[in-house]
Amino acid sequence: MHRIDARNRPLRAAAAAAALLLAAGFTAAADEAKPADAEAAAKLAAEVCSGCHGPAGISKSPLFPRLAGQQEAYLAAQLHAFKGKTRSDPEAHNYMWGMATLVSDEMVDAFAHYYASQQPAPGTAGDPKQVEQGGKLFEQGIPERGIVACANCHGSNAEGRGIFPRLAGQQSAYVVRQLQVIQKQLRSSPIMHGIIKDLTPEEMTAVAAYVQSK
Amino acid sequence: MRRIGWIKSTLLVSAGMLLFCGQAGAVPLFARQTGEACEACHVSFPELTPFGRLFKLNGYTTGQNQWIPFAAMAQAGFTWVNKNHDDQDNLITPKTGRPEFSATSVFLGGKVTDNIGGLAQWTYNNLVVNPDGVSTTGHGSVDNTDLRAVGRHVSTQTMDEDWIYGVSVNNNPTVQDVWNSTPAWGFPFTGPSNVPAPAASAVVSGALAQKVVGFGAYSFWRKSLYTEFSLYRTADGMFTFLRAGQSQPPGSVPALQGYNPYARIAYNREWGGNSLMLGAYGLMVRMYPDNTMQFTPTDRYTDLALDAQFQHITNPHTYTFQASLIRERQSYGASYPATLSGSPIGVGPTPANAADRLLTLKLKGTYYYQRKYGATVALFSTTGDADPGLYGPGSVSGSNNSSPNSHGYILELNYVPIQYVRLMLQYTGYDKFNGMRTNYDGAGRDATNNNTLFLNLWVAY
Repeated sequence: MHRIDARNRPLRAAAAAAALLLAAGFTAAADEAKPADAEAAAKLAAEVCSGCHGPAGISKSPLFPRLAGQQEAYLAAQLHAFKGKTRSDPEAHNYMWGMATLVSDEMVDAFAHYYASQQPAPGTAGDPKQVEQGGKLFEQGIPERGIVACANCHGSNAEGRGIFPRLAGQQSAYVVRQLQVIQKQLRSSPIMHGIIKDLTPEEMTAVAAYVQSK
Repeated sequence: MRRIGWIKSTLLVSAGMLLFCGQAGAVPLFARQTGEACEACHVSFPELTPFGRLFKLNGYTTGQNQWIPFAAMAQAGFTWVNKNHDDQDNLITPKTGRPEFSATSVFLGGKVTDNIGGLAQWTYNNLVVNPDGVSTTGHGSVDNTDLRAVGRHVSTQTMDEDWIYGVSVNNNPTVQDVWNSTPAWGFPFTGPSNVPAPAASAVVSGALAQKVVGFGAYSFWRKSLYTEFSLYRTADGMFTFLRAGQSQPPGSVPALQGYNPYARIAYNREWGGNSLMLGAYGLMVRMYPDNTMQFTPTDRYTDLALDAQFQHITNPHTYTFQASLIRERQSYGASYPATLSGSPIGVGPTPANAADRLLTLKLKGTYYYQRKYGATVALFSTTGDADPGLYGPGSVSGSNNSSPNSHGYILELNYVPIQYVRLMLQYTGYDKFNGMRTNYDGAGRDATNNNTLFLNLWVAY
């Protein structure tokens, strides 16, 4: 068991490095967003996206993620995945495939930049026991089961990094749902799937409560 | 042997419709326009989610223009009436206990420009009963129609400035409303054709549907406060198209005098996966006793309603509740003196009281698991003043004690295998019908004799 983990580690590191490079590319592209696009993105975000994702990206419904302060590269990557129909979990299919057709390639970066620039929602306290258990999992992982610490990629404060999304302040029900769809391979995320394939429902709830509280 | 034949027919109809739907390979109009799944806007058609409400309030304009702005739906099913013969052994509801294609609708509309959109429905009813009371025929007519021009003012800097505002031209009071506690899109969303129904209902609950034209203005502030004011008049002149195909025999339809006010206010709040609405609305109409004699004095109907809706929409559990209380005051300023003098106006009402009251209560709760398996329980109650002139004795549809009071319940099971198909089993039970539990019509019929079982297949494409 230990040997398999050791063999996988360099692979994961390579994948993470590739992802970071990709993220750098997206960030560079976002920096080139035109002012007119930025204005249009802010207007559409307020008039259309806010219907589900809330004013300035702070959603009130656990069905829809909070986007305020989300990593710019992650947002752009997701919008491209919706447009290309490569992210195909049920909610992506039901809601975002259609919405993303309204977003031009040029506007993807403007939207990503807009939401990344918004003030993130403060954390929401949860069940202290769950938060404590989730915090341990987030910071240390479960080495004996090959579950690496979430903080390795998502940052020590769950702030995210590049294409690794910010989880801090995200609604716990949404986080649990994403863990479920990734585990069931309804949402394609090879890195995450490898890490969480044996995560139990209780562990999902705990780690989600922890990141929501951050 | 006959029963086996029916079962076979049912299977064939069901399979045929499923096959047809599968071959259609398309999605309804708004889903095509927005690219969204049906469940983004609907808990189950036509009940709207918060997202669906915003789509409607924004004038159906979200998304991309469609080259072919049409969608369609069809319904087929079985109806069973507990006792389907009157005291003279005449059939009450024709074509029960066997599969019948009941109706099909075509929808035209969606986005016209970024600020103009609409919904227009045309329905072909295949179960219009002929005068012989046994055979049926098909008839097409305009159904619910709602045309809008809208604007939106949202600040990108602060939450304080968020206004949706617009105007609507429609042909049914409350068809423009976005909460399903109002009559036009209220529960039951679909029901059996031609079955016995209680004699009394408020004017706002469908009596004016596709007979009138309304001009309204509304605003929705910070997704919190909805206000609307509309004026309704008979759909004649250039607005006749809003009742096209609707028959107009004397006395069968209402005709309004002038412009009649409708007002609506609703408080809306959304948090977590929850949304809550507390509201009120009112309609006051002046109606000619006989629609073919639009020179007589008029009767006045004043409806005031309180309504509420709660929805919890998450995955996999969704549950919703609606409540509605409508108080109607009927002032027979024209019909009562005419009746009293012995010469009623045309075929209009012949009330024995100068004024009557009616109180209608509806409560409904729905649960859906994975938006696929649903169950609904609803209770309804109508109470009001006894009036022998309005509610006289008569087989099946009459009242032996002149009372409009009816109470009952609806139980419904839903199965939505794919988003364009819904299979529904609905049971409507009465514990009081037109005033009494037993022998309510004076001809020996009991309230429970009108209990109805309805199996319905609904397909949209």
